[in-house]
Amino acid sequence: MKRQITNLIAAGTLALSGAVAAQAQDQGVLDTIIERDSLLCTGHNGSYLGFAEVDAQGAWQGFDIEFCKALATAILGSPDKVQIIPVSWAQRFPAIQSGDIDVIIKVTGWTMTRDTELGLQYSRPYFIGPFYVMSKTELGATGIADLEGGVFCVNAGTTIERVLTDYMETKGIAYEPLAFEKGEELRAAFYAGRCDAIAGFGPFLSATRINAENPDDYEILGDVLALEPEGIVVRQGEDDFLDVINWMVSALLMAEEAGVTQANVDEMKANPPSASVERLLGVTPGVGERLGLSDDWAYNVIKTVGNYGEIYDRTVGDGSRYKLPRGLNNLWNNGGLLYPLVMD
Amino acid sequence: MAHALPPPARQTGPLVWLRRHFFATWYDAVFTLVFAVLIFWVLDNVIGWAFVDAIWRVENREMCTHDAGACWAVIESRGRLILFGLYPYEEQWRSTIACLVVIVTIILSCLPVFWSLRRLPVLWIGGFAAFVLLMRGGFAGLEVVTSEQWGGLSLTIFIFAAVFVIGMPLAVLFALARRSSMPVIAKSFGLIIDIVRSLPLLTLLFAAAVVVPLLVPEAIQGNKLMRVVVAFAIFFAAYQAEILRAGLQSTPQGQEEAAIALGMPYWSVVADVLLPQAFRNTLPSTINQAVITFKETSIVTIIGFFEVMASGNAAIGNGEWGNQYIEVYVFLALIYFVFVFGLSRYGAWLETRMRLGHG
Amino acid sequence: MQQLFASHKFRRFAIQAGFVIVAILILVSLVLTGQRNIADQGIATGFGFLERTTGWPMNFSVIEVTGRSTYARVLWAGLLNTMLVGFMTLIFATVLGLLLALMRVSTNTVMKLVGATYVEIFRNVPVILQVFFWYAILTHLPSPRAAYAMNDVIFLSNRGLMLPAPMLSASDLWLLAAALAAGTFNLWRARAKPGTGRRWALVLVSYAVLFALLLVTGRAPDAPLVSVPELKGLRYVGGITLKPEFTALLVGLVLFGASYIGEIMRGGLLSVDRGKLEAGRALGLSTFQINRFIRVPLAFRAMLPALSNQYIWLMKATTVGIAIGYPDYFAVVSTSINQSGQTMELLALLMGGFIVINYSIGFVLNTVNERIKLKGRS
Repeated sequence: MKRQITNLIAAGTLALSGAVAAQAQDQGVLDTIIERDSLLCTGHNGSYLGFAEVDAQGAWQGFDIEFCKALATAILGSPDKVQIIPVSWAQRFPAIQSGDIDVIIKVTGWTMTRDTELGLQYSRPYFIGPFYVMSKTELGATGIADLEGGVFCVNAGTTIERVLTDYMETKGIAYEPLAFEKGEELRAAFYAGRCDAIAGFGPFLSATRINAENPDDYEILGDVLALEPEGIVVRQGEDDFLDVINWMVSALLMAEEAGVTQANVDEMKANPPSASVERLLGVTPGVGERLGLSDDWAYNVIKTVGNYGEIYDRTVGDGSRYKLPRGLNNLWNNGGLLYPLVMD
Repeated sequence: MAHALPPPARQTGPLVWLRRHFFATWYDAVFTLVFAVLIFWVLDNVIGWAFVDAIWRVENREMCTHDAGACWAVIESRGRLILFGLYPYEEQWRSTIACLVVIVTIILSCLPVFWSLRRLPVLWIGGFAAFVLLMRGGFAGLEVVTSEQWGGLSLTIFIFAAVFVIGMPLAVLFALARRSSMPVIAKSFGLIIDIVRSLPLLTLLFAAAVVVPLLVPEAIQGNKLMRVVVAFAIFFAAYQAEILRAGLQSTPQGQEEAAIALGMPYWSVVADVLLPQAFRNTLPSTINQAVITFKETSIVTIIGFFEVMASGNAAIGNGEWGNQYIEVYVFLALIYFVFVFGLSRYGAWLETRMRLGHG
Repeated sequence: MQQLFASHKFRRFAIQAGFVIVAILILVSLVLTGQRNIADQGIATGFGFLERTTGWPMNFSVIEVTGRSTYARVLWAGLLNTMLVGFMTLIFATVLGLLLALMRVSTNTVMKLVGATYVEIFRNVPVILQVFFWYAILTHLPSPRAAYAMNDVIFLSNRGLMLPAPMLSASDLWLLAAALAAGTFNLWRARAKPGTGRRWALVLVSYAVLFALLLVTGRAPDAPLVSVPELKGLRYVGGITLKPEFTALLVGLVLFGASYIGEIMRGGLLSVDRGKLEAGRALGLSTFQINRFIRVPLAFRAMLPALSNQYIWLMKATTVGIAIGYPDYFAVVSTSINQSGQTMELLALLMGGFIVINYSIGFVLNTVNERIKLKGRS
């Protein structure tokens, strides 16, 4: 009897692990996306100003959301084929590991732990986030050192917590940290004066300042705490998918460099000014094929969301409420850090 | 010669009433006066803020400053976002009807006519199915709306209803298993119930959202909403099981023995003799549990669902209305209050009704 | 075989054995699937990360935590924070709940009304919303430079409430502990002997004087006895600070918890036999004495089981602290998940922590319940 039971357990376990093994060798994410005919991309649990926010109609908008749409257009041909899944900051890595989402486009800093230990892979940076400190004008601080002993509010669980600790320790400045899980509460606490300063991602600070009742009450100090390159994240081993993402980012930058915009893309396609634009817009066949996409993928992307500069302008730049200067996120020939790769 | 003293005058009239209820002793008087002043002060401020100085229309929104009263314009502008979350704008009528269906179901099930083990499940499963069909669509030309896009009040109500529908049978199962005469089963379920009860709901939901997909083969994972609802239902069941167990214990042992002696099979004893009484005896606690569950749906906002609390946060999270958070929170509190207060009043009514019924 | 199955005993055995086997199979398959998925995705596992430094500081902690503390220490600090706010909530909510219950059963209509309104409002709004509300109020107080001051020793600003604090060294604390222990021992001995009831005050005073003497004579000549908060730059230095995050969470939880505890206690008070109260009145006891010696102790017995459930519930409700930046256990675990990515290990620690705390509360209250419940009745 006892032996029978042991045998039974062994048999059951084997059967189950067999089922598991069969499931493990599934297809790549790219194939899954094409089969499903939709891309599962990250949103936010609430609003992250300028990058992922919800309008009065309940539709998603923002810089990161535009990249989700661009990616869906590149792979599936339509921006409507993206499904935005709301996830919190803490949830994004477990969510991609478990397959709830295909890709993280959620201003995610490229750090060593995440890259090596979480089973993740980063694309080339699509955004460079400088970390700044914003304080009240009335405190009269000109640099971070003037805020000695003050309370610094930060977003919990983001890279900034560590960056700030490092910076303050190096400079020997005493301070009191205060971490909030959600941006809404962080902002409310800052406006109310609970903290003397917010340390954070430049765009977030600008958005916070613009949102204040009187933006002139606050100023962003010149000291840069650190730079954070933000990448798009996929699971380890999704090389094909990562190729598509890298070249999509590159295509958006290349379009800006070559002056291809949402408005003139048809004209450009009809009579391309250069061989590289020909390849970009799929006039010369074969470029899309190498990525496993249609030849007009980049044309579709630019037609729907525009080039990098247009996306930036519309969501966080001059065309938006936030009026963020391009700064480091300009093309290399305009003093920024961004550059397209060579499409040959 | 002794006179019979006249009886003491019967004290009546408004002054006596006042004295008895408000100024019986010196500290009663102090208390009454202090609170009267306090109540007047609070009411004056609240009414001033919420009504007299309030700004109601979006056209007047530039008047919304710190010194003015409540800026209800934010509700006019973002109200639909709060109520419907990410649900597609043109399809929001479906969400409205679906909500109403569930509310009607809840109201119907509060009527004693429906209190039978046959009718109640039919009503709930029917109402619930109608809700899901309407929300999801995909038939009769209705566009498919996946559960990731569900949001606002209807998601709150969905989670509440789903937890109830799944959790109630589970609770019965848990309660019966825990009082089973088989020691292994009774002990195991006792352990499960105690562990679940000592965990914060949030940790269970978090585990369901992010860890379960790693542990369970993809085929039976379901989507995130489903996993979270099931985890929530288990949490609810662990609490409700203890309530039911108390109810089961309160039915006299003799009844069960008599039923078994009559040759009734186990399931019939449970379904026809024990459970109806257990449910009836524990109705007030059950309703209290329902109230708690309704409030706790607000916790799913932390794991990325756009129920009414999260969409409220999103409503103030977009630059335009960032400073009107108090108005939005008050609006949210009112929504919760209407549901929860209604339920708890109903519970109190039931309690008195039953007390009368049992003498 | 058929006969065997018909046997009641065997059937019971078979069902239980089947249950155990299914449970084991499910557990094993969960573990196997988990292991495979983790290996497939190249996620690092194990508790090794606990030894690593976190790189971020904490805003509020009972023990010292810096950016160089290990994950283990930070998690421990988080657990202590949860226990601190949790136990304080239990104490204050119980006291306030008792007051509410007494108000609701009193004869004064205003008291009844206030009690009922209080309960209905605080019970029917989600606790997270209430905590937000109190936090918003506390953070809208004036800035430290414009703080409300009382005699320049107590300050109230949006950085919290600053109070003067005694400067006690470790040896002073030992001294205090020794004095307390000796005092308690003396009292206990005094109680054992009949007719010495009045002496306790004398004993207490003499120990207090002794302690004060030792404290003053035993310390370095320049060291001040009390540290007073004082504005330096952007912050107050010295004294102790009750931070808004802690205060808002505590106030929110206490007010919310009291509404539930009040209702439980009202039920308990109402369950006390009227005759016993009337007997007390007949003996000429005052209202206070009736409450103190008859009503509350009897009610306590009736309500303890419901109360212990409520205590565990409140302990779990401390997790809303994350919403206002109070680094409770859940918040710390959540940040750690984000920074280290060790989701499963950290979730296991989180659940383990709460199970330990809540089982302890349950155990203590059950023991008390066993001790005080009426013997010989169920």
